[in-house]
Amino acid sequence: MGGVWQNCTDQFTSHHVTLGVYRFWATTRERKYLWAETRFIDDRLEWTGTGLELLIGFVLVIILFFVPLFGIQFLQNALVMRGEIAAAGSLTLLLFILIFYITGFARYRALRYRLSRTYWHGIRGGSDDQGLGYGVSYIWKTFVGYAVLGLLIPWSMMTLWNERWSKMSFGQHQFHAIGDYSDTFKRYLLFYLSPILLLVAGFAIGALSFAFESPATAAISGALLVLFFYFGLGLIAMAFYAKFFRVAVDGLSLQKLDFGFSARTKDWLILFLGDVALWLLAAIAVALPAIVLAGTFGALNDFQMPQPGSDFEAAYLSFLLPMVLFALIPFMLVGPFIRYRHWRFFITYLQCYGEINLDELTQSETTTSRHGEGLLDAFDVGGI
Amino acid sequence: MTMRAWFYDGKSATRRDVEIQVIGKNFYLAEQERRHGPFAFEELNYAGQQGVSHVYKYNGLDGWRMGMQGSEPAELKGLLPARILYGRWIDKIGLGKAMVVFAAISAGVVAVILWTPQWLAPLIPQSVEQQLGDALVGDFGGRFCDTPKGKKALAKMAAQMDGDVSDIEVQVANIDMLNAVALPGGKVIIFNGLLQDTPSADAVAGVLAHEIGHVRKRHVMQSLIRQMGLSVLMGGMDGNVGGTLNGILSMGYSRAAESEADKHAIEVLAKSNISPIPTADFLLSSPNWRALKIRAEIKTKKPKTVQAAIMPVH
Repeated sequence: MGGVWQNCTDQFTSHHVTLGVYRFWATTRERKYLWAETRFIDDRLEWTGTGLELLIGFVLVIILFFVPLFGIQFLQNALVMRGEIAAAGSLTLLLFILIFYITGFARYRALRYRLSRTYWHGIRGGSDDQGLGYGVSYIWKTFVGYAVLGLLIPWSMMTLWNERWSKMSFGQHQFHAIGDYSDTFKRYLLFYLSPILLLVAGFAIGALSFAFESPATAAISGALLVLFFYFGLGLIAMAFYAKFFRVAVDGLSLQKLDFGFSARTKDWLILFLGDVALWLLAAIAVALPAIVLAGTFGALNDFQMPQPGSDFEAAYLSFLLPMVLFALIPFMLVGPFIRYRHWRFFITYLQCYGEINLDELTQSETTTSRHGEGLLDAFDVGGI
Repeated sequence: MTMRAWFYDGKSATRRDVEIQVIGKNFYLAEQERRHGPFAFEELNYAGQQGVSHVYKYNGLDGWRMGMQGSEPAELKGLLPARILYGRWIDKIGLGKAMVVFAAISAGVVAVILWTPQWLAPLIPQSVEQQLGDALVGDFGGRFCDTPKGKKALAKMAAQMDGDVSDIEVQVANIDMLNAVALPGGKVIIFNGLLQDTPSADAVAGVLAHEIGHVRKRHVMQSLIRQMGLSVLMGGMDGNVGGTLNGILSMGYSRAAESEADKHAIEVLAKSNISPIPTADFLLSSPNWRALKIRAEIKTKKPKTVQAAIMPVH
């Protein structure tokens, strides 16, 4: 844990003085620490990715994606101004598909990058597949998943997981992923059907309260329904994901080594509640000093919302900006702890059965790219 | 003294317990029945700490790892590469100093990004901006109102505001909004709503002078460049922080530009003997930021015109 704290403070200070550019190196440092703290079977993992690779990945994204995006948006503005709404609309659709493709592609590349930089016993993983085809799969499978009233979402999630992992290897061995989506389907139906049941229950309660002329019952049941809608549905979604992840990892194997994941919904819930508690701590750490300062020194007494005619930039720079920066500190410090908890959660519940012959496990022949997971960073779809 | 280490050759996953045997600048790693090497010390790189072991890699040999527990043995002093904590040159100059260097570089980058648009915008040829403007605006979806009489009136007004208006194209768009915009390529578009709701021609002239101010000061190009620069820079930060700062910074910019355009408008109006009162009056009657800025500008920077403009309002 001391290492996490060290990471935390390093990241925090360096982040600010480098305008955030340090974050590529911070991520690397954090991963080196997490990987080295992870024992797999009999030895520790090693992370060999570098900050420079992540920076290169990021710059590539800017050049290959954001610059064209800027161009497309300019074109879109022009089309709208010229009244070519249909053309602007189809351009939006095209953009949407492009973003979808790149999201899938990025997810694949991130897994490939992470495996190729992970060493165990001096052996690494990787893949020779560039992931261009996976991007196409990602588009059509997700589309099909949603198309049939969302009923095939578990199918699309599982087949995509299997497709992604089946293209990966460690040493000379290929991963096999044969997770079966039908095992997760009951849980999914629970999630899928509960809003409908909820609606029916709502009507029934409404009818009953009307029949018995009891507004109190109506109010209480109404509140319960709202609570269920927000928390109950979230919980059921979590139950589905817990099951999905168990089935997906259970279907994963590497030669004679079988993987498993044993976290149940309860464990995910505890993980989630722990995160919430950390965020709350951060919020208290912001609120308490702020209240004390405001109360004791009347720090905010002089502050007025910018009035017409007054120089509102000065107001922002002297009051609001420092406040925002101050409020950010605890929240930034929480980040590394949360990532540490998630990593620990993942490692604790990951299981491994079977055998592996170390003498026969030889070095991966896959090519490695020289850039990191910039795309994934940009779309913020990564993370465990 | 024997120096023990663990060793992966990078070809198979077998972990080997070895003894390091030094011969000059090279070394062998010896198991009981087999000896690996020779290896050169200068090809070693520090790979980091794993538990109690300090781990070294070998240039060009994928997966080659040698791990040693505890502190560096005396025999290997000067032969093994230095243990890296933060990064090679950060360790060399110290974390504190590195932070100061980073902060200075960052301040420089921010300054350059904030000021570059002002320097860069005038360097972009008018023809390029013209093309951008033509590409962007086109015929504005057929929403331009084109009557010869209106066109003549506008051209006359613009000419009064600005000596040579051949590079400025003023158009009226049939949009019911109380606004006017300056777009790339000297295109000024006045929305019909503004013409309908403005009580006097002098106020229209004031608004037009303001927009021409934007064109003359190359604000449109500046803001395009600034937006691009900021979005690239802020990409380095986490989304929300970057977004907030980006908003504040570009807002600061647009205020500076607005007051520059206001200044231009006030000067031009004064030169053409048009009273700024109707403009101020009209803008103050609609409480938007633009009106507020004009008032602030009049209050602080142009005392002579101020008197005239503010009086009827208060």
